Amino acid sequence: MKALVVAGIVVAFGALATLAQERTVTVGLDADPPNLDPALSSALVDRQVQNQIYDKLVDIDSNLKIIPMLALSWKVSELGTTYTFTLRQGVKFQDGTAFDANAVKYNLDRYINLETSRRKGELASIKDVRVLNANTVQLNLKFPFAPLLSVLADRAGMMVSPTAEKKFGKDFTNNPVGSGPFSFVERKRQDRITLERNGAYWDTKNVPNFEKLIYRPFPDGDVRAANLLSGAIQVMTPVDPKDLKVIEENARTELTSVPGLGFQGIRLNTTKAPFNNKALRQAFAATLDREAINRVVFLGSVTPATTPFPPGSPAYSKAFPVTPPNLELAKKKLAEGGKPNGFSFTLLIGTGGVGAQLAQLYQAFAKNAGIDMKIEQIEFGTLLARADKKDFDALALGWSGRPDPDGNIFDFFTTGAASNYSGYSNPRVDRLLQLARQTRDIIVRKDIYEDALTNILDDASYPITYFQKVNVGKLKTVDGLPLNPDGILRFKFVKFN
Amino acid sequence: VAVLTFALRRLLYALPTLVVVTIMVFALVRVLPGDPALLMLGEEANPELVKALNRELGLDQPLVTQYLNWIGGAIRGDLGASLRNNESVSRLVAEKLPTTLELSLLAMLVALALAIPAGVFTAVRRGGAADGTVTVLALSGISLPNFFLGVLLIYFFSVQLGWIPPSGYVTPGENLGQNLLLMLMPAITLGTGTAGVLTRFLRGSMLEVLTQDFVRTARAKGAGPRAVVYRHALRNAVLPVLTIFGLQLSALLSGAVITEQIFSIPGFGRLLVEAVATRDFPVLQGVVLISSVSIFAVSFLVDLMYASVDPRIRYQ
Repeated sequence: MKALVVAGIVVAFGALATLAQERTVTVGLDADPPNLDPALSSALVDRQVQNQIYDKLVDIDSNLKIIPMLALSWKVSELGTTYTFTLRQGVKFQDGTAFDANAVKYNLDRYINLETSRRKGELASIKDVRVLNANTVQLNLKFPFAPLLSVLADRAGMMVSPTAEKKFGKDFTNNPVGSGPFSFVERKRQDRITLERNGAYWDTKNVPNFEKLIYRPFPDGDVRAANLLSGAIQVMTPVDPKDLKVIEENARTELTSVPGLGFQGIRLNTTKAPFNNKALRQAFAATLDREAINRVVFLGSVTPATTPFPPGSPAYSKAFPVTPPNLELAKKKLAEGGKPNGFSFTLLIGTGGVGAQLAQLYQAFAKNAGIDMKIEQIEFGTLLARADKKDFDALALGWSGRPDPDGNIFDFFTTGAASNYSGYSNPRVDRLLQLARQTRDIIVRKDIYEDALTNILDDASYPITYFQKVNVGKLKTVDGLPLNPDGILRFKFVKFN
Repeated sequence: VAVLTFALRRLLYALPTLVVVTIMVFALVRVLPGDPALLMLGEEANPELVKALNRELGLDQPLVTQYLNWIGGAIRGDLGASLRNNESVSRLVAEKLPTTLELSLLAMLVALALAIPAGVFTAVRRGGAADGTVTVLALSGISLPNFFLGVLLIYFFSVQLGWIPPSGYVTPGENLGQNLLLMLMPAITLGTGTAGVLTRFLRGSMLEVLTQDFVRTARAKGAGPRAVVYRHALRNAVLPVLTIFGLQLSALLSGAVITEQIFSIPGFGRLLVEAVATRDFPVLQGVVLISSVSIFAVSFLVDLMYASVDPRIRYQ
């Protein structure tokens, strides 16, 4: 009897909780977004929340095409060094400040000049920003930079309220104000970020039918999935490979997937033995069985890859197909590299996720050719520090991806670039990648990239193994959630029943 | 008066300990490999930006200066600001600590509620089948890792039965019922290990007490079995268990790290894990310092309780 009463109370509380949750959409993320100020944000997960609070100058659609947002239209000069934007009129920030050309200048100047701005690199091509009139703004570039618009479709194009930024200064990140469809209410670190519908949003055609949008971090994938399956949250991303099927088959939930922009692979340190020897890099690369990786670790949910350009990218090329492992080639290259009986090296991997499983597969592949690969698993902070000092033989570290092809190749394969942990240097590749980012015609650019990739793949400094997919699990009652390759969930289109 | 002198003497001894603790906390945090600026910048890192950020965060200053700045602020109650988003560490600590204290307290209640009857029962029925069963259960409680128990509970009560939301947190002020409901599984997860340990100790200490002369005297005077066990034996058997209780409280604090992670409870433990993973030095220092101080405070309280219960201790 007592047990029945307890059960009754528990159920009653459960019912109360559901009632209180009406008109609220709760999203489960894998991490607590650390910084909501676009100037200071470097974690990708920040963008999930930022995209609801702020509008950007332009946006991308599901085909990675640039579409208007706060800028209605734009003109690019013949040489590609002047961009003139005509701005949407009548837009107000959530604190009532008017959005105009001065606000655009304020924001871009801040991204470029603030000493610790994380947007500096992306906007390095800009010489100055000029206000032509209240709703026209002109960007003058130091050199043509084809990826500029796609950069403005991301954090560098997010417009924050200048009034609020001046008022809060360093604490703007905890009091963010933009012009987006949801405004910031409060954040409790590691618990929730609460947003509410912006009643004065300019896009009256796309008004969500719920009042509150809450983001909650669930670092553990099992717990994240359990929360969705029990209905405690309505949307979750990312989804662990093993949970994909469960969410797909559950009567209340559904799964949506789209190829992402990023890639994963193994960085080989070209600055020291053994991988300063090109033949040995080629030997290891020849052992990789990419289909097996997809099948065994990801249960068929990723796309095997050899280049950094995923199928949706404008630079995607069919000229570099995924080939099965070639042990004969590997043995030949080993002999060529002076190690006919194989050699040994250590792969650094981070903790968590499928990293260890993946590493064990790489180990088995290498062993087929007599290469002895050891695995060293270290915590992510230590991993980054060692990558930075080039204190490793091989390192499993991928890239989250950017819409413009330049963002997926330049920083990894040009000499001395920030993310070129392999220490790779090939003057011809440097020249080609510089040329590509200054070329606006995408057909011509694609040819340049193919030329560069032929060299990059042959040099094998960073064998790429697969493209991730963006996976979102949601209740079937959440309608109209578009899914773009950038993985950002745009909630202004959502209806929740 | 004797207890008071004892207390003052213990506090005096504590001061140098605390200074050493702050130096160790500060030094250990810096010994960790990994650069906070590099971690904060992640994919955006480049050498100039790393340098600029270290300058802004004051991490380019000599370690002694950094330590003195920190300790100077700490004395005034200002533990600095989070490197990640400039939130005040004192505020973060004040926000998260009550949550973890609530969790530990509830876990302790769960532990006591399980351990006292189980400990007494097994001691009284020593050697029987019931003793064996409870002992096996207690040992499973000790050895079952709480990350596993937590996931098991979520699976049965949330996913299969749908009785309790799998995770989350509301403050008792917002909704006490919901708060207790959400704390139920975490408290059980965290409390069972301690329950196991306490059961074992209570059983041992009960067995010892039950063979002593005064118990026989009580029986001889005609006290009923219930009165003998609860009024005479248990009171005396609880003494050594107090020490374990104090030690277990610090175990609960560390256990909370894992339990909070599983149930997404925004407490001290999760703050600690995040601060370690992101090398958020001020937050990490603040959390470790406050934890050390609370563990110290608990053992101090236990000493006091001991001293007031057992006069011999005061004069040592």
